[in-house]
Amino acid sequence: MTRLSRRDFLKTGAVSSVALLNGCQPLFGKAASKAHVVVVGGGFGGATAAKYIRYFDPNIRVTLIEPKAKYITCPASNWLFAGLATLDQLSVDYQGLKNYGIEVISDTVIQINSKQRSVTLSSQQSISYDRLVLSPGIDFRWDTLHGFNQELSQRFPHAWQAGPQTELLNQQLQAMPDNGTLLICAPPDPYRCPPGPYERASMMAFWLKQHKPRTKIIILDPKRSFSKQALFEAGWKQHYGYGSPNSLIEWVSLADNPLVSLDAERKTLTTEFGDHFRGDVLNIIPPQTAGKIAIDSGLGNSSGWCPIQPMSAESSLLPFIHVIGDAGHYSPIPKSAFAANSEAKVCALAIVNLLNQQAISTPNWLNTCYSLITPEHGISITNGYQVNAENGITAIKSAGGVSQKTDPASLALEAVYTQSAYYNLRSDCFD
Amino acid sequence: MKRWLLMVLSLTSFNSHAELSGENIALNCFNCHNRKPAANSAIPSLNGYSRQRLQQAMLDFKYDKTNATLMPRIAKAYSDSEISAVAAYLSQQ
Ligand SMILES: Cc1cc2nc3c(=O)[nH]c(=O)nc-3n(C[C@H](O)[C@H](O)[C@H](O)COP(=O)(O)OP(=O)(O)OC[C@H]3O[C@@H](n4cnc5c(N)ncnc54)[C@H](O)[C@@H]3O)c2cc1C
Ligand code: HEC
Repeated sequence: MTRLSRRDFLKTGAVSSVALLNGCQPLFGKAASKAHVVVVGGGFGGATAAKYIRYFDPNIRVTLIEPKAKYITCPASNWLFAGLATLDQLSVDYQGLKNYGIEVISDTVIQINSKQRSVTLSSQQSISYDRLVLSPGIDFRWDTLHGFNQELSQRFPHAWQAGPQTELLNQQLQAMPDNGTLLICAPPDPYRCPPGPYERASMMAFWLKQHKPRTKIIILDPKRSFSKQALFEAGWKQHYGYGSPNSLIEWVSLADNPLVSLDAERKTLTTEFGDHFRGDVLNIIPPQTAGKIAIDSGLGNSSGWCPIQPMSAESSLLPFIHVIGDAGHYSPIPKSAFAANSEAKVCALAIVNLLNQQAISTPNWLNTCYSLITPEHGISITNGYQVNAENGITAIKSAGGVSQKTDPASLALEAVYTQSAYYNLRSDCFD
Repeated sequence: MKRWLLMVLSLTSFNSHAELSGENIALNCFNCHNRKPAANSAIPSLNGYSRQRLQQAMLDFKYDKTNATLMPRIAKAYSDSEISAVAAYLSQQ
């Protein structure tokens, strides 16, 4: 068997494993041993796919294309607002992946030539592939709020891609007047990280409670309800006066009265029925679609996301291209880093099966999203998923759900696990 | 190391879906239970756990016989035979 034990793989990295393998005759045919997989996007999905393809079959050549030398994780980026982390601590580089023999190219893919099975980089270099994995993350729709545009996100940051936007929003938070108001405009479904806006409000409130207790965060929501709502609201009540006139956090559902326009000068948002919300800081998180390269390449449908065949993660629209992570239409699996990791493993295994002319094994997916309400109060939601009879994806009903134990000791434990789970997930993807 | 590539169909499956291989299940454990044991991780690496210990722990989680925050919700996603398969797979790593 060409398969190395996991321990060998982790110890040696794949470069030396190739040498190791030369001793025992490779099981796979010549064509398979030379197969080339190109992975576009070095986020949670792409990094995991690249790593695990090499883990499953070190004879496959893997090239990862990602413009950034350092990737800053969105998970844990909300901790910044509570003063619990710096962007530096949330940064990873690609040395870990290079150690597995993955070639990492610092560039952007500007075109996918699906007929020739090649991608074109911004340097004009062309790279051919046997299979392409696309994990480009999200893009924003800038045209849904009158008076708002991409340029204005420099004043009203989304901070929904971690980096300078996160720092800008944090500076604005800290510079808020003592009785100021911060508006969080939550996006409509489906979007990256369903509990994200509410975790953000919690982390901001934690900081404001200590430094500017007379301020207020108002979440303006196009939805009627949100992820882990009962747990968030119980936590807000306990820590931030939720429900009382002096609450640090207010949640307003605008499901029947959506925001329609922004007056940038007055920092005021107006709804369809003419209600106004003025803020000192506006965190406008726009509606989202699959990353631009996926949409430009014809991989998206009218939903703005990329339909896939669950068994293989292969696009339903174009052959030999697999889409994973936020960009893919994996509903009911939420768009999270944890899910991107799970989707990437299913994809990696399927690609290895396909390149070796083997049957694709039955996949399953798992998602778990932890959120912090304070550094000592953590909550979670989890679900397993499987393929259903219609070749779609279904949540496993007998399992999953939100935190059941809400005594202080359990919540404190979950806060500790939140941090562990973050670092371990990151390590499973990038190290 | 033996690799299970064929779909194993089981008529007695708990969730009435095709039985999953131990490997396919285990892949989703590594996100939290790191394969490279990190110092001071509150969620332990499962390296070195015996098959018996893994299987018993998972069954205890699944049937609510032990006090835990998250694992009972995860373990309920798998049939008893899948739990046996993932325990066997993990113990060989
Ligand atoms: C505030 C916040 C908090 C979050 N917290 C959590 C959490 O606690 N847990 C959790 O599981 N998830 C969390 N998420 C969600 C998580 O960040 C995403 O689901 C995850 O990053 C998706 O991974 P991805 O690979 O699809 O995309 P990304 O991680 O966005 O990676 C995409 C990569 O592709 C690259 N790319 C794009 N286009 C091209 C191109 N044309 N050529 C080359 N490269 C390209 C980009 O540079 C980028 O690095 C959070 C998100 C936010 C915003
Ligand atoms: C999202 C994170 C996460 C995932 C995924 C996860 N676990 Fe766990 N695991 C935990 C936590 C947290 C604990 C501590 C018990 C608790 O409170 O639930 C734990 C505890 C355990 C223990 C007991 C360890 C000990 O020494 O007491 C075992 C065994 C275990 N998990 C097995 C698994 C298996 C098998 C899988 C994959 C099917 C898995 N876990 C997936 C988070 C996770």
